[in-house]
Amino acid sequence: MIGIIARHEYRALVQSAQTWVITTLLALLFGFLFLRQLEAFLNVQDQLALQDYPVGLTGFMSAQYLQPLALAFSFVAPLFAMRTFSDEYQKHTYALWQSSPVSSTSLVLGKYLGLSLFVLLLVLLASGMLLLMQIFIPIDLPVVVTSAVGLSLCALASTACGVFFSSLTRHSLIAIIASFALIIVLWLLQSANFGNLPLQAIQNLSFANHLAGFFQGYLQTADVAYFVLLSAMFLALTIVRLDLLKQTGY
Amino acid sequence: MSAGRVYTLSFSFNFPEHRCQVPALSKSTSSGQATPEHIGGGNKTRLLDAANLCRSLGATAAVDDVSIHLQRGDVLGLLGLNGAGKSTTLRMLCGMLVPDSGTVSIAGYAMSEQPLKARARIGFLPDQPPLYNDMRVHEYLRLCGQIRGLKGALLARNQAFITEQCALEEVNTKLIGNLSKGFRQRVGLAQAMIHEPDVLLLDEPSNGLDPQQLDTMRTLIRAYAKNHAVVFSTHLLAEAQAICNRVAIIHKGKLVADTTTDGANLEELFRRSIL
Repeated sequence: MIGIIARHEYRALVQSAQTWVITTLLALLFGFLFLRQLEAFLNVQDQLALQDYPVGLTGFMSAQYLQPLALAFSFVAPLFAMRTFSDEYQKHTYALWQSSPVSSTSLVLGKYLGLSLFVLLLVLLASGMLLLMQIFIPIDLPVVVTSAVGLSLCALASTACGVFFSSLTRHSLIAIIASFALIIVLWLLQSANFGNLPLQAIQNLSFANHLAGFFQGYLQTADVAYFVLLSAMFLALTIVRLDLLKQTGY
Repeated sequence: MSAGRVYTLSFSFNFPEHRCQVPALSKSTSSGQATPEHIGGGNKTRLLDAANLCRSLGATAAVDDVSIHLQRGDVLGLLGLNGAGKSTTLRMLCGMLVPDSGTVSIAGYAMSEQPLKARARIGFLPDQPPLYNDMRVHEYLRLCGQIRGLKGALLARNQAFITEQCALEEVNTKLIGNLSKGFRQRVGLAQAMIHEPDVLLLDEPSNGLDPQQLDTMRTLIRAYAKNHAVVFSTHLLAEAQAICNRVAIIHKGKLVADTTTDGANLEELFRRSIL
């Protein structure tokens, strides 16, 4: 059942003009950033070579090209997710799922998987540009892989956030604004200054704190667990929300 | 339905292969132990048991102590003025809305305990058909069949059968968003029946249909009801008289009449009930 729903969601996503407009803009961003950072590397590679532990092309591009894309993905993913449930409420198609033998869990997981597949293809596109360099020069494959994992986890957590807010309202604009607000907070927590308050632990909830390691080639359990738990929390909240709809109506 | 074409319908409405089996009838129902009525057998199996349904929307009691029991072959017309509680009742019957109190059981499966099994035996057409405008008719019906558990050859057979029954062949490859109101309503009806549910729930299915479309819809519902149970809400007394063998009148959330249509003067009954 989850597979059927995922296929349906994926199909709906790729048939939407909005999806391709966003994807085109994102691809332009990938290309621009990639060329810009490649040029920057060529300009500074002589200076980098003088360092005790010189940074190679892969390390440089991971930090300068892929890492900033995490920010882009965390805002683009909710754009794909914002219509997941809002549109169903708005167009009265949610009644089809509610009156069918489909559990809220299957519905949420199916829709999330469909969205995730598309988002992961975009991550693959972004990482693929770096992988293509292998045709010309040897690259540090593990760093590219850990960077892609970091990007994927960040994008998937943002997708889950978008799915949750989409389940709260029939207006997709409200869903996307709420998603952006929360994601901005999650990014800004890193630089928050709590003064004398014992709230430093809150900084551990920041996206940035947990992403840095991935782009340096580290795959740390704590970072992976953070994003997995964040995604799971949003999906669980979405399931609770859908179950509550049967109590309150929509 | 479209100009210049007359549709003929199979009056037996037997699906190519019966999928839905009524569960063991000795099974306890939501209202307690199986009663002799439940094991009536033959063509008079009890398919829908809704007992003492109550539901408030805000401070208003939208549905107040409504009980409906249907057997195989019953067509129940749910009558009432606008805002009487018909749609809320239907939404509770199909599991979309949880009643504040009371129970719903479909073919022996309690909606509160085995919602997926109960919903697998229901087909529901809301007042606004749940249609995806960017899907083609055949894609949409296929999806509806799949999420109701049909697959492979059975799905293909049921889809072909329901497409023929609802006279959708000519629009089968068209986008739903481009269809006329009549065709959209028929696609909505087809999605509700594709899995051959035991209980078909229709919320004002005749809305926006022209007289010829109405006639076809009535024929379709009557044919389907021979082996299943149908509930449909309407505020048109003539429609209820034409299709139903029973009517239930809801007024201000309360069930004020539940009777057969044989020889009944519905207009008089309706007037007396809502006074």
